[in-house]
Amino acid sequence: MRMIGQVAVNVFKESVRDKVLYNLVAFAVLLIAVSYLLGQLTAGQDVKIIKDLGLAAIATFGLFIAVFIGIGLVWKEVERRSIYSLLSKPVRRSEFILGKYAGLVLTLLVNVSVMTAAFYAVLAYLDTQFSDSVRAAWPAPATDPGMLRAIGLIFVELMLVTAVALFLSTFSSPFLSAALTFGLWVIGHFNTDLRNFEAVVESPAAAYLARGLYYVLPNFAAFDIKAQVVHALPVEPSYIATTAVYGAVYVAFLLTGAVVVFSRRDFK
Amino acid sequence: MDAIRTEALTKHYHVGFWRPRPYVALDALTLDVGQGEVFGFLGPNGAGKTTTLKLLMQLIYPTSGRAEILGRPVGDVSVRRRIGYLPENPYFYDYLSAEELLGYFAGLFGYSAAERRRRASALLDEVGIGAERRLQLRKFSKGMIQRVGIAQSLINDPDVVFFDEPMSGLDPLGRREIRELILRLRDRGCTVFFSSHVLSDAETLCSRVAIVAGGRLAAAGDLSELLAFQVRAWELVVAGVDDTHLQQAQAAGDVTRITPLGGQRFALEVPLSADPARVIAGFGAHGGQLVSLNPVRETLEDFFVRQIAAAPTTRGLEPVAR
Amino acid sequence: MKPAAALLVVLMGAVVGLQAVHEGRGGRPSADSPNLLYVRSPEAMQRLALSYEALLADVYWIRTVQHFGGTRRSTDPGKRYDLLYPLLDLTTSLDPLFNIAYQFGSLFLAEPPPGGPGRPELAIALLQKGLQVQPDKWEFAQQIGFVHYWWRKDYTEAAAWFRLAAEMPGAPFWLTSMAAVTLAEGGNRQSSRLLWSEIARSEYEWFHNEAQRRLQQLDALDQIDQLQAAADAFEQRFGREAAAWDDLRRAGYLYGTPADPTGVLYRIASGVVGLGPGSRLFPLPVESARPPQ
Repeated sequence: MRMIGQVAVNVFKESVRDKVLYNLVAFAVLLIAVSYLLGQLTAGQDVKIIKDLGLAAIATFGLFIAVFIGIGLVWKEVERRSIYSLLSKPVRRSEFILGKYAGLVLTLLVNVSVMTAAFYAVLAYLDTQFSDSVRAAWPAPATDPGMLRAIGLIFVELMLVTAVALFLSTFSSPFLSAALTFGLWVIGHFNTDLRNFEAVVESPAAAYLARGLYYVLPNFAAFDIKAQVVHALPVEPSYIATTAVYGAVYVAFLLTGAVVVFSRRDFK
Repeated sequence: MDAIRTEALTKHYHVGFWRPRPYVALDALTLDVGQGEVFGFLGPNGAGKTTTLKLLMQLIYPTSGRAEILGRPVGDVSVRRRIGYLPENPYFYDYLSAEELLGYFAGLFGYSAAERRRRASALLDEVGIGAERRLQLRKFSKGMIQRVGIAQSLINDPDVVFFDEPMSGLDPLGRREIRELILRLRDRGCTVFFSSHVLSDAETLCSRVAIVAGGRLAAAGDLSELLAFQVRAWELVVAGVDDTHLQQAQAAGDVTRITPLGGQRFALEVPLSADPARVIAGFGAHGGQLVSLNPVRETLEDFFVRQIAAAPTTRGLEPVAR
Repeated sequence: MKPAAALLVVLMGAVVGLQAVHEGRGGRPSADSPNLLYVRSPEAMQRLALSYEALLADVYWIRTVQHFGGTRRSTDPGKRYDLLYPLLDLTTSLDPLFNIAYQFGSLFLAEPPPGGPGRPELAIALLQKGLQVQPDKWEFAQQIGFVHYWWRKDYTEAAAWFRLAAEMPGAPFWLTSMAAVTLAEGGNRQSSRLLWSEIARSEYEWFHNEAQRRLQQLDALDQIDQLQAAADAFEQRFGREAAAWDDLRRAGYLYGTPADPTGVLYRIASGVVGLGPGSRLFPLPVESARPPQ
């Protein structure tokens, strides 16, 4: 446990020193600039659009961090051979993998938290710009805490993306890992098409394959409740719970796979 | 209990995609290293030295055979609390400073914050890293990284250290410092296992050596046993001697080889049958001066070259058509 | 260093200058023709959206507003608002709960040129799409009825939709009577005023302004009726058409000079009262004859 924590803190330190957290500046600038410019363009839809944009940006920035750091987490250490000295210390290979994962998740947590705070700050400011009658017509208040549920599921989605990238990083080059991770993310959002393949395609074998893939491949679309929270539609707490558990179980599966692959590897 | 022990340790790699043939990186290496020894693991490039070290560190897995460190199998994580390792051409996290790196590694052993700082500081002093210890490692030269590497291998006061080419990247002053450090480690009772292709280091430091070539153990044992350490001739360097006297000495059998060094200096080989003192006196009488007198022994290098010549060359691959 | 810095300045100046030339020539070739809506199919767009549906809907909404505002401002006599329906369709397909988009469509798709494309059937189609997602939204049902009422003058259909809307949860009480009145009397100014007042209560500036304008038009119609009655009375009495406001003033039918609710003076010519030239209320809505009883 302690080993995992120490490796994790080291990963976090690396992210900070690699100036990853500067993406937060870009995020804040984007949000503020857009909310400033929106003004007359949208016939009063400013708050909805800022909410949509903020949630999408949190998800997207997080996705890029998860992928671009995740694909290098293991590969870089093996390639540059810093792993030689690390594994000569009393660190198990499994602890190394778990520590790397925990470190990136920690980085993402900090990132998402700061983005969320900036997001709510911008919304709080926008809130002051509208009259009471306009505000009464909104489905949810500008600084609706309900959006935290969407952000929470986005975070679980990011944890899953990270696990995919880390798993691939244990045996595959960064380019291939990035392509596969993004590919799986895209497929994971196409899932309704996968599920309904049989309606489109003649061959039953293809339909079975598509169905099978739907069940096996990570279902990223399930984590997306952004539209629901912006429109203040009800989302069952049980849905959020089961989806989060799905994410956690899939993460455990991928981390186990990563540990297995990594433990049997020869390092060049 | 031996510090290190291997039994028929073997590693094959598979080369080629369609019909993979095994490439023999290491072939049935059996050796043992006693505690407190300074053991030199020698061989030319590509002989299997680094492969052996990686097998001992379990960075790679053996095809067959086994290895033990301090009586425990090599995969045992607990044994790693008592060893240190310096990889060849080490690379460490370049976004950390030297202090931070040592602090990180110390943390993996569970030392308190104060203890970590103390150890890091002491080791950096010992390897000669001064104020640069606060700079990020990406700003370090190769020699400085090497020193940091040695420091990190000692962070836990190990009982056995494994050094892969410890002198690489160091200037002559640095090499002397590290030689002295290795001797200090020996004096503390630490077992030092180091691989090198620089033989003079082994000659000065080691009590026992092993020579590998072509993936196989060519020779192993006490240095003094392996080498004759016999004087086979003398090397005499003189100045201010003219040709005539040289010819006379050679004719008399006092000198078997003359090498002009320029500026009226000559390196002369004096066989054992002649008395070097008399030969020097003879030159002195004619105005010559003695510059140096050294015994010529069979060196480790001579022995080494003899062993290498006998080593296997194909190692499982197809021989190249000539 | 100096020559390099000068080169940089010159090159940047050239870049800025060329950009100005580009703008001066009208920027990119017009992107407002139907051919250049890259993705027309809402289904395709939904598939491509990959969790960004809401944001894309917002983007299409912004484009809708810009397209509509830009076309309204343009002086091109052939302007058709061709992209209005496709953009609204995409917006509402990506975000089926984008209520303002449906309502925008209901108001402006039906409006005839030059104010809109004049396609009431598209407005109704869009609102019906909205009702599929939210079958209890009385506002949509009422809007459908309104399109039938105001633009298509189909009072039977209008009444049917008002009745449907009246039964949905949250519907205002007057919808039932509105349904009855519409069925009985067809389009009358009172009902129209009520419907437009309902729209004027919207917090969206667009709707509010549009509804205000319509209400002002209805007021103008009232005023014109009164003025026309005075002009007719004048003609009856004096046997000639009133030619100017002076005639009516001297005859005691009028005090001062009448102006419409936007402040533009009415005009009288050959005994017929009408809007003054340049009034924003032009064209006034046409009122159809009452349906046979």
